[in-house]
Amino acid sequence: MSLTEIDVIERNPEESTMTLSMGPQHPSTHGVLQVMVKLSGETIETADMEIGYLHTGIEKSAENLFWTQAATVIERMDYLSPLSNALCYVLAVEQLLGVTDRIPPRAQAVRVLLCELTRIASHCVWLGTHGIDLGAIGAFFYAFDVRENILDLVEASGGARMHPNYIRIGGLNGDIPRGFLDRLDELIEKFPGRMVELRTLLQNNPILRDRMIDVGILSPQDAIAYSVTGPSLRASGIAYDVRKAFPYSGYESYEFDVPTRTEGDAYARFLVRLDEMDQAMRIVRQARNRLDTPGPVMVDDPKIAPPAKETIALSMEALIHHFKIVSEGFRVPPGDVYQAVEGPRGELGYYLISTGNNRPWRVRTRPPSMYNLQVLKAIAPGNLIADVVVSIGSLDPVFGEVDR
Amino acid sequence: MPSPQTPSIAGTALDPTSLRPPIADAEIIRVSPAELRARLISLRDEGLAMLLDVGAVDYLERDPRYDVAYHMLALSPAMAGQGLVATPRRVRVLVGVPADATTLPSVADLWPSADWAEREIFDLFGITFEGHPDLKRIQMPYDWEGHPLRKDYPLRGPAREATPRPAFALKSNVPAGAPPAGKVAEALQRQIARARGQAEPAAPKGDEPK
Repeated sequence: MSLTEIDVIERNPEESTMTLSMGPQHPSTHGVLQVMVKLSGETIETADMEIGYLHTGIEKSAENLFWTQAATVIERMDYLSPLSNALCYVLAVEQLLGVTDRIPPRAQAVRVLLCELTRIASHCVWLGTHGIDLGAIGAFFYAFDVRENILDLVEASGGARMHPNYIRIGGLNGDIPRGFLDRLDELIEKFPGRMVELRTLLQNNPILRDRMIDVGILSPQDAIAYSVTGPSLRASGIAYDVRKAFPYSGYESYEFDVPTRTEGDAYARFLVRLDEMDQAMRIVRQARNRLDTPGPVMVDDPKIAPPAKETIALSMEALIHHFKIVSEGFRVPPGDVYQAVEGPRGELGYYLISTGNNRPWRVRTRPPSMYNLQVLKAIAPGNLIADVVVSIGSLDPVFGEVDR
Repeated sequence: MPSPQTPSIAGTALDPTSLRPPIADAEIIRVSPAELRARLISLRDEGLAMLLDVGAVDYLERDPRYDVAYHMLALSPAMAGQGLVATPRRVRVLVGVPADATTLPSVADLWPSADWAEREIFDLFGITFEGHPDLKRIQMPYDWEGHPLRKDYPLRGPAREATPRPAFALKSNVPAGAPPAGKVAEALQRQIARARGQAEPAAPKGDEPK
């Protein structure tokens, strides 16, 4: 029996129920997720999920790489917002190294700028695919146009569109290039108009409203019990945002609001994410204004920061430090630390263990997607079979992170 | 089985959590497996209603061998509609699990979010949770053998670990008696010829690396 699309896997005539298997290759599951829905008529009684189809052992791989190398595989967990993953891991390592207070302000501003741009790009993918799930194809192209502009900026800064490995332990891999700010200004100017277009297409669309309002209602009690964080938690009324509650990278010095709704349904989650895109652009504008004055972008510590290429030919010490960092990495003092950031999907955390070696002993991810997805068990029952697609889309899981 | 591909295999007998630098990331509480549930319930009643994450660590040579960390956060449903949440309390409960008794009480009945987290620890570390409603593998296939995140599990998996890599693929495979200076290129030529199944050039002294 193939389990590729929607198959009936069990019928129970006595209870007049039927169990259907959706996925793991179903297009509306946004990856590889298998949902077993037990139906009574068209109404869902239970929804059980099977994950792990994308398990790649990233945590195991990271244990066997140098501290700097591990960041490259960690970026690949949540492939829609790689910079949030990198930032969280790097902040945790910096805590263990004790250099958190010495990160140059320019590096922090660029980190904030790129992370907020990534948040917009990630929400653009969610918005486009969520629209397609509900039959609104057109918005996808508008959303992906904005995302394309952002990926161009990421490529300009780090050299790669998706996984630039630009945020490094101690700062950044080089300063932003010439012309970056001009292109950023173009995007800042274009973005509000694009948001108006996207809202016009989707927000008051009667078909979308009918499909989303009162569907997949998540109560605050369930949200807490299932450890839901991020926009999904804020759409249930709890205004918890790591950027405000535990500020990092200088977020306390930026002005922004935390959009909140109390309805808790799919439409509330949709509106919270749309408002978040506006707020992210507000932070981007503030961060951009801090980048006019040049400055260092790497911590001044030769044991952590590889020396500049120009100095290697001139200085013996620089050559030695460069050789040591490249060939055996650097050692991190023993200890454990939990560091969290507000990723596009919620509280993304890394629990790192160092034994004083040049490789992490353990890299435990707190994956927001996994916990947010699990709540489908609580919000799907009582809805119609067609609403499973809406519920999954409104939770915005990324399976690279669910399965790691 | 220790593996040449996993250099961090050397077990740690020290407890890094006791050597941590002063980082104010959370309050840390260490409990024994027997008092775990009671402690978590009392913390929940103090207002730490969200169980953010459950994660495990394998220290290999330390006693107890494993640590399971429960990250808790002071969020409650009563905060709904109350405005911005300001710096909730964070608590990390660490519980040591000895290698010969890898069982902990499950908390999936208190926090449904612990369901998948405990299944993942069972899958990747082999720690079982008593009272869990449906403890089965979650990331690996159901018929998988072994627990991949244990430190004595080879990086490439047991099956591939048994097949050696080609001699010239890994620096660490070059034996201590390296070819004499000046003969390196010749030794490499012979290795390449052997790998291609061609006739080997004659060895000058017979001290080539295996």
